[in-house]
Amino acid sequence: MTDSKNGAAGKLAGWFSSRSSGLSRCVIPVAAVVLLVVIPLVVESLYNLHILIMVFFYVIAALSLRAIVISGQFPLGHAAYMGIGAYASGMASKWLGLPPGLSIVGAAVFTMIIGILVAYSFARLRALYYAMGSLFLGVAIVQILNAGGTWTGGYSGLSGIPPMFDNSKVTWYYVALGLLILSALALYRFESSRIGTNLKAISQSHLVAESVGIDEAKYRILAVAVGSFFVGLAGAGYAHYVGTIATSNYNFMATMWLFMYVLVGGINNFYGPIVGTFILILIPEYFRSLKTYSPFISAGILFLFVYLMPNGFAGLFELAVARIKGWRAGRTGNAAAD
Amino acid sequence: MLLQIEGLTKRFGGLTAVDGFTAHVDEGEIVGLIGPNGAGKSTLFNLITGVFPPTKGKIVFDGRDITRKKPHTVAELGIGRTFQLNLLFADFTVLQNVSASSQVNPRSSLFDMYFNTRRYRRNEARIAERSLEILQLLGLENYKDELARNLPHGFQKMLGVARALATSPKLLLLDEPLGGMNPSEIDFSLEAIAKARDSGATVLIVEHNMQILSLCDRVVVISFGQKICEGLPQEVRENEEVISAYFGGEHAST
Repeated sequence: MTDSKNGAAGKLAGWFSSRSSGLSRCVIPVAAVVLLVVIPLVVESLYNLHILIMVFFYVIAALSLRAIVISGQFPLGHAAYMGIGAYASGMASKWLGLPPGLSIVGAAVFTMIIGILVAYSFARLRALYYAMGSLFLGVAIVQILNAGGTWTGGYSGLSGIPPMFDNSKVTWYYVALGLLILSALALYRFESSRIGTNLKAISQSHLVAESVGIDEAKYRILAVAVGSFFVGLAGAGYAHYVGTIATSNYNFMATMWLFMYVLVGGINNFYGPIVGTFILILIPEYFRSLKTYSPFISAGILFLFVYLMPNGFAGLFELAVARIKGWRAGRTGNAAAD
Repeated sequence: MLLQIEGLTKRFGGLTAVDGFTAHVDEGEIVGLIGPNGAGKSTLFNLITGVFPPTKGKIVFDGRDITRKKPHTVAELGIGRTFQLNLLFADFTVLQNVSASSQVNPRSSLFDMYFNTRRYRRNEARIAERSLEILQLLGLENYKDELARNLPHGFQKMLGVARALATSPKLLLLDEPLGGMNPSEIDFSLEAIAKARDSGATVLIVEHNMQILSLCDRVVVISFGQKICEGLPQEVRENEEVISAYFGGEHAST
């Protein structure tokens, strides 16, 4: 730490002023994790825990979408991969009797393999063509799941998916939170290493990226593989938590919601999808009493964010940090002048 | 011979952009490739770097056939290039542009990158150091934290060169390094290319600005996809066929 000689106060200020130091980047995530760990000890309402468990799984899904989006690919069928994970794990444990823990991990790997196979065939598609291709593939996946008869439960959905552990809300809360923390750490490392830099380079100009030696196809497939693994994981975990799944949870609208989580949270920031998912699930959930109007509220929130915070909510936070830094710099500058 | 091009042909539908082109570049040489607009110069660059495959012909670089290799492989083998249009990583800073372009030497595996191994950290430290050196060489060090999209045109061109240098190329391909520059930027660029020449770099320059001739050891002239002349800058400047290609047939005859 640069400010260590100034004691505790200097250290605290250092957390805000030097964003490059490892410690400063940890403070807010660690505080958030501590808060989330404490919540079940304080909050007794099972309904509130249920909402948070749902949020945790969807944060994993939104983060997985981000891993693909930073490479400049817009997978408009991403929620369908969540469905693949959910159905694969649900069917494997219901029909084949696999223990849920095993089937969840297996389903994530299975989703990743499907993702890689598709990514290979989509390697030549870019921008709009990739988006259209993945959109129709997503529709096809949902239709295949609908046509699965008793195996998938068809239109009425797959029910009776075996639960995990004692199936209490508090247990699930910590399982989901644990999965979220592990996934977020894994994806954070993915993005902040040179791998993430190369993906962002490809999204800015695939011609330039190739010209300096970045293998575009390899990296794009890698991004899809990682994204598919984690969205499969989220889908599978969620399926065992709720016990009943239906294909309507994984259609185009569901993908749009995932995109909204990422965009409202802020596309330029790793924490964007986390913040966005919390906001967009929690707010409509607590306006449930308005029932038919809740989509309007969500749409209103989206408009507000697009107009007021083009960099999303996480972007707003960055702006605040920059202001504080500017204010502190101004103050020390004045002190020097005196 | 570092680069050897033999009978290269590229057809886009009915249009023959490059037609049986043969040329070579020796080590330590600066070769100018000049010709009027639409002569096939940029297509030739794209063929050499593998952006698209040739219809016919062969490209040998450093003893290896690179005819149908992909761009990233060509870059790995040691050909760095700039683009005629200012293509860059617009949302990266100047420094990030150069360090993101340092993929080849040193090279980290995916495993090293993900698990932040000692080798990866050492490589990244070396890349950071060398990126700064490259920026200093090209006079961009004061703009290192500026977003690339905010740079003036001439500096973006120089950043393109910096990016190409970051790949530690054995051969540097510059696509219209003087295009759209004002006179002072042109002087600056010519100086930078001269510096590169003095340090022993091998460069192939595409340009239709004839000022570049003063820097070249040898000049190849291309028109309608075919080589019409090759020689010392002085010879080329006085060649009848070149003059007619640039100024039209009538001018040449009067």
